[in-house]
Amino acid sequence: MKGLAVSLGLAGRNLLLVRRVPSVFIPSLIMPLFILIATSGAFHGIGALPQFAGASYLAFTIPMAATMGAGFAGINSGMTVARDLEGGFFDRLQSSPAPRVALIMGPMFAALVRSIFTTTIVFIAGLIGGVWLPGLLPLLLIYGFALLFGASASCWAIGVALRARTIQAAPIMQLVVFLSVFMSVAYVPLSALHGWLGNVAKFNPVTYILTASRSAELTGSIIWSETWPGLIAGFGLLILLGIFALAPLRHLENR
Amino acid sequence: MTAAVPVIRQTAALAWRSIVTTVRLPQAWFPALFFPLVLMAIFTASFGGAPGTIPGFPPVRSFLDFAVSGAIIQGVLIGGTTAGAAFATDIEGGFFDRLVASPTSRTSILTGRLGASIALGVGQALLFIAIAAIFGARVDGGLIGIIVVVVIASLFAAAVGGLGVFLALRTGSGEAVQGMFPLFFALLFFSSAFFPLDTMVGWYHDVAALNPITYLVESMRLEIIGGATIWTALAGIGIALGLALITVGASALELRRRLRVAA
Amino acid sequence: MSDQAVETQDLVREYKGGVKAVDGVSLTVESGGIFGFLGPNGAGKSTMVRMLTTLLRPTSGTAIVAGHDVMKEPGVVRRRIGVALQDAAIDPYMTGRELLRLQGVLHGMKRAECRARADVLLGRVDLEDAADRRVGTYSGGMRRRLDLALSLVHEPVVLFLDEPTTGLDPVSRVTLWDEVRRLNVEHGTTVFLTTQYLEEADQLADRVAIIDGGQIVADGTPKALKAGIGHPLLSVVAAEGSTPDDVARVLAGFGEMVPGAREGGAAVRLPGGSTAMADAVRALDDAGVRFAEIDLAEPTLDDVFLASTGRHLAGSDDATA
Repeated sequence: MKGLAVSLGLAGRNLLLVRRVPSVFIPSLIMPLFILIATSGAFHGIGALPQFAGASYLAFTIPMAATMGAGFAGINSGMTVARDLEGGFFDRLQSSPAPRVALIMGPMFAALVRSIFTTTIVFIAGLIGGVWLPGLLPLLLIYGFALLFGASASCWAIGVALRARTIQAAPIMQLVVFLSVFMSVAYVPLSALHGWLGNVAKFNPVTYILTASRSAELTGSIIWSETWPGLIAGFGLLILLGIFALAPLRHLENR
Repeated sequence: MTAAVPVIRQTAALAWRSIVTTVRLPQAWFPALFFPLVLMAIFTASFGGAPGTIPGFPPVRSFLDFAVSGAIIQGVLIGGTTAGAAFATDIEGGFFDRLVASPTSRTSILTGRLGASIALGVGQALLFIAIAAIFGARVDGGLIGIIVVVVIASLFAAAVGGLGVFLALRTGSGEAVQGMFPLFFALLFFSSAFFPLDTMVGWYHDVAALNPITYLVESMRLEIIGGATIWTALAGIGIALGLALITVGASALELRRRLRVAA
Repeated sequence: MSDQAVETQDLVREYKGGVKAVDGVSLTVESGGIFGFLGPNGAGKSTMVRMLTTLLRPTSGTAIVAGHDVMKEPGVVRRRIGVALQDAAIDPYMTGRELLRLQGVLHGMKRAECRARADVLLGRVDLEDAADRRVGTYSGGMRRRLDLALSLVHEPVVLFLDEPTTGLDPVSRVTLWDEVRRLNVEHGTTVFLTTQYLEEADQLADRVAIIDGGQIVADGTPKALKAGIGHPLLSVVAAEGSTPDDVARVLAGFGEMVPGAREGGAAVRLPGGSTAMADAVRALDDAGVRFAEIDLAEPTLDDVFLASTGRHLAGSDDATA
């Protein structure tokens, strides 16, 4: 219980920093919007492929943009931890009696709050572009998948930060998250993928998260057969990366 | 003649320094090679079904042929931004002041940078064509086609280099120049660099149609996928040259202004 | 509660590559005082503090802080200590008040408690006017005072200050010293302070340990340490018409000579202190030795450092100027 209060306190601090530093705040706002507009605008024509079955390409892109926005928020939480480790603020946290887990949960909560925010922005942009919201349950499911991916990305980035202990590691955090989305079904459904990417995407958990989220967006209902692989992939990813982030907490004092 | 010789030698020496520092620093060249090639691979695998199916898609042998020119332009853009940031870091670090304080000609400070940008642009274009060729891409225009592609790429490299120098002189901060990168990257998406203009609709189509990068890429692309004429080649070269003249001119003016302030 | 604030046995910290930053330190710091941990840069001060504050695991040895083992009960230790580390890492984008409240949350305090405590501490370190400004706008001295306040949120029993005044101007330094003294006297907080400044240790600490190369080379009250060096040093510079040898011949009768201590003259340790100085002047006069300069210097902690390590404490002169 005390861990929760500390986590929330730290999350509040992270969100405060995001709000007060324009060079962090503005990209976090623009990034998912850019992905949505640039992807749906530049590749509009691809929606004519038979595999899309007439779906709107803008609607098709919404879950991907929401996922990317959440991933971006997750990366940023890791970057904050890296900066705190480098600058010494983390020493302050570490020398306090706060539960160690809270040092990870705090930044992760902040990433989740930001993910809710960016996902909402993506939906609003979709509305402006003429894509109506799916039903309440599908909508919540899309938020849920974005949060799952955001939390996973956050665990990944924090895990890297705790090991590297320097902000120089930021490109590694970013690259892996970006590639994990782009090397899935970011632009077209799995059935339309050619060659190497088809094989990579099949084993990429993000493929199943995006497919499930997309199914909710495009059908406006929850089709169980397309949802459960996404849930397994999402929670599996979160558990694995959660372990990745938690493991170095035991060895914080060994450096 | 006697005055021109040291300028050329100094230009060559400064260009050489820029090239060496770029090649020796993986952070400087890795993004310019990695990102365009990875995106090219991902787009080719994602959009392989587009040619022949999507209305408005030009006739091509494969999506890879279509994607090469966009990748080259993207690589030049990333490389140019990194080089501009390096120049700004030079200014921050005092290398620029040392140059100005030395008898080095003022022109060669600029031409040295641009020479390096052009050389790296040529190298990048050839490398990308070669890599794409390994995966089955062909240049329809043959040797002349390759020459046109390389000329446009190098002129565009000069244009980006000029913009980089201008921004570096204006801001004097490597971080600020690097910070412009997302903007340039966005510019690329709002063009036909990755997908044909004719498949876009509404306001997005209109923006891309106004973007000069669209015409640069299309001119290069026709040399690769076929259908180029002397006029499409000249149009591409002309636009790239025009962009280069604007940005290099602006950076020359900015250099003069800065030197006057310093004096 | 134990009478010892800090007690270490053969504490060692070895970094990768076999470098021992702290090499077998056994140290006892009694409760209630101000303890000065003096040493040059890289002597092992910060490594020592990081181990005592649970931030770094010792390679071997034991450390009991505020009555609890830092390795076995780090959680308890953390609740009982306050820590203000070198280069006070404070978010420039947060305000002083926000940081103090966050620190309260980290210590598991209730909301209202955090607020009240923040107000009290802001008043204590005289930052009320700046409380709602972003820390980025603070001066160096204000940051250190805020850092001090942050380390006091939970009323710690032992307070660790790692080089609290490094980089501060003389006025801010004195202000901070007053604050630390007041804390010690009024609240009974034991202060463990590291410093590379002799004057700081001399002014603040009632006990000093000197560390060099990861090992304790001297330990005691400043007074005892200085007394251990020996007697005050009388140095005399010969004037025209006399030679340093003339001076030396006379002074040799008053105590142990210190060769090379004074250029163009000679120096001697005076067991008799300042009374003996008058005798020495008279003797010089009687012998007809003319001198240009004469002074009597009490031993300093630098002399202690010199005597223990054979080196001067680097930068101590300009640092305390």
